[in-house]
Amino acid sequence: MDNNYFIKTESLCASYKEDDGRSVEVLKNINIGIKKGEYVAVLGHNGSGKSTFAKLLNMILTPDSGRIFIDGTDITREDMTEKEIYDIRRKIGMVFQNPDNQLVATIVEEDVAFGPENLGIPSDEIRRRVDEALATVGMTEYAGHEPHRLSGGQKQRVAIAGIIAMMPECMVFDESTAMLDPVGRKEVMDTIDMLNRERGITVINITHHMNEAVRADRVIVLNDGKVYMDGTPEEIFNEPYKLELAGLEVPQCTALIQELRRKGVALDGECTTPEKCAALLIKALGGRNNG
Amino acid sequence: MAEIKLENISYVYSEGTPFEISALEDINLTIKSGIVMGIIGHTGSGKSTLVQMLNGLVKPASGRVLLDGKDIWENPKEIGKVRFKVGLVMQYPEYQLFEETVRADIAFGPKNMGLDDEEIEERVLEAADFVGLERDFLEKSPFDLSGGQKRRVAIAGIIAMRPEVLVLDEPAAGLDPSGRETIMRSIMNYKKRTGATIVIVSHSMEDMAKYCDELAVLSDGKLLMTGDKKDVFKRSDELVSVGLDIPQITTMMKLLADGGVNVNTAVYTVDDALAEIYKLL
Repeated sequence: MDNNYFIKTESLCASYKEDDGRSVEVLKNINIGIKKGEYVAVLGHNGSGKSTFAKLLNMILTPDSGRIFIDGTDITREDMTEKEIYDIRRKIGMVFQNPDNQLVATIVEEDVAFGPENLGIPSDEIRRRVDEALATVGMTEYAGHEPHRLSGGQKQRVAIAGIIAMMPECMVFDESTAMLDPVGRKEVMDTIDMLNRERGITVINITHHMNEAVRADRVIVLNDGKVYMDGTPEEIFNEPYKLELAGLEVPQCTALIQELRRKGVALDGECTTPEKCAALLIKALGGRNNG
Repeated sequence: MAEIKLENISYVYSEGTPFEISALEDINLTIKSGIVMGIIGHTGSGKSTLVQMLNGLVKPASGRVLLDGKDIWENPKEIGKVRFKVGLVMQYPEYQLFEETVRADIAFGPKNMGLDDEEIEERVLEAADFVGLERDFLEKSPFDLSGGQKRRVAIAGIIAMRPEVLVLDEPAAGLDPSGRETIMRSIMNYKKRTGATIVIVSHSMEDMAKYCDELAVLSDGKLLMTGDKKDVFKRSDELVSVGLDIPQITTMMKLLADGGVNVNTAVYTVDDALAEIYKLL
């Protein structure tokens, strides 16, 4: 076992059963290694297997074959004890798509305390963790509010705080911004970036928003249950046709720069965000234009 | 076909209680016959309330909703008929499927219209074609389909009533790029073949730029602006200030202009941006 990886999968296969008993393969021989502190985006169209992958990591689902190592522990072992399972779920926290399905208490701070309470943590320690978690996601002033009155983005941040309070080493976001409006999406994405960059939490963001994927250090594209591409955002978006075949598309700005390059315009450098693209163009056009 | 006109529309939640919230204030908006109208606004801006008024699902506190010049609330007992003319696809409509087969689910609306079996069958097949559902899907249980397929069944259920105005609240939310395109193409296909007026609520400015003719922008229950999409995207600073996105390409063109490059920033598709940049090369 390679100790460099926090998460490692070996020949991982998973399937689900249709009502008529037919078995459908969702993941086919997945070999992925993710290091501690990495920020990985997992892209793929609906049905590509990305959610299944996420749910295998903290044992919501079990694989058909293959192995998953979390922090050196083989979690696919038959003899995993209950304590070990809890430990994995504490280490790998998950945030799901629908903000309304994840909040359990009637007051925000009680909701955040729910996880640590279940871990049997002393109450003064819980108090400290809840306060810190709410501060981390910028929701301190809402500690006494009722969750159902919050916006979608705020609800997701409370859900994130609930996970942070369990002090996970890794957080998996399973399309956590899909149901949010642009403001909510930005709030949640900024929070995710901060957890990785400032807290050193390993982040796996499962999404089909290219604009979110560019914020990661590494992008893994799943297609038809297999690892289809794996590289930096720049490398991945450099192959728009390949992405299109996987049911995905590159951001508008990236498409623009790529088209200009095809036409022979010299534009060297990264083109994953509007800022980077504008900088490339200003360099290429600016002189002539200002002259 | 059909034009909808909103005259001085207001709506208040929990009226007469301390929690009274004004959801819509004095909205005047004309949705011209045969156009694709996009309605944008942040969460809580009143978009969903507004579109639910178009088919009489929500009754305005004051003001009139005119369908082809006729007040839809003139005879409240007849409001059901308005719903056959103005079809509303709500958010996440796949959660509203309930029949045993896809066929029965799509047939539910036409059945309620009192059509005969032959006509119903014809409409079911037609609607399934519009949304690109193969015939063998019709006998399946809707619950065995993928999310994107369920969404298409739900839309087909409304299309089967052959509405003159098709209203969709976030029809592509939560779908991946290819799923989104399939849904948007189905809608445009229906418009092209029937000449129906289309009203779409969406957070995706890229989709709005691509598919809509006109846009209406809501903010805090008020109509902030309305008009041709070009004119609306020109006012991108205002859009951003009320918590809306602008297409990514528009953001980049603005950055170019800020950086001293002389470009038109009222650009919202990749092709238009390319044309602008070629001018400078």
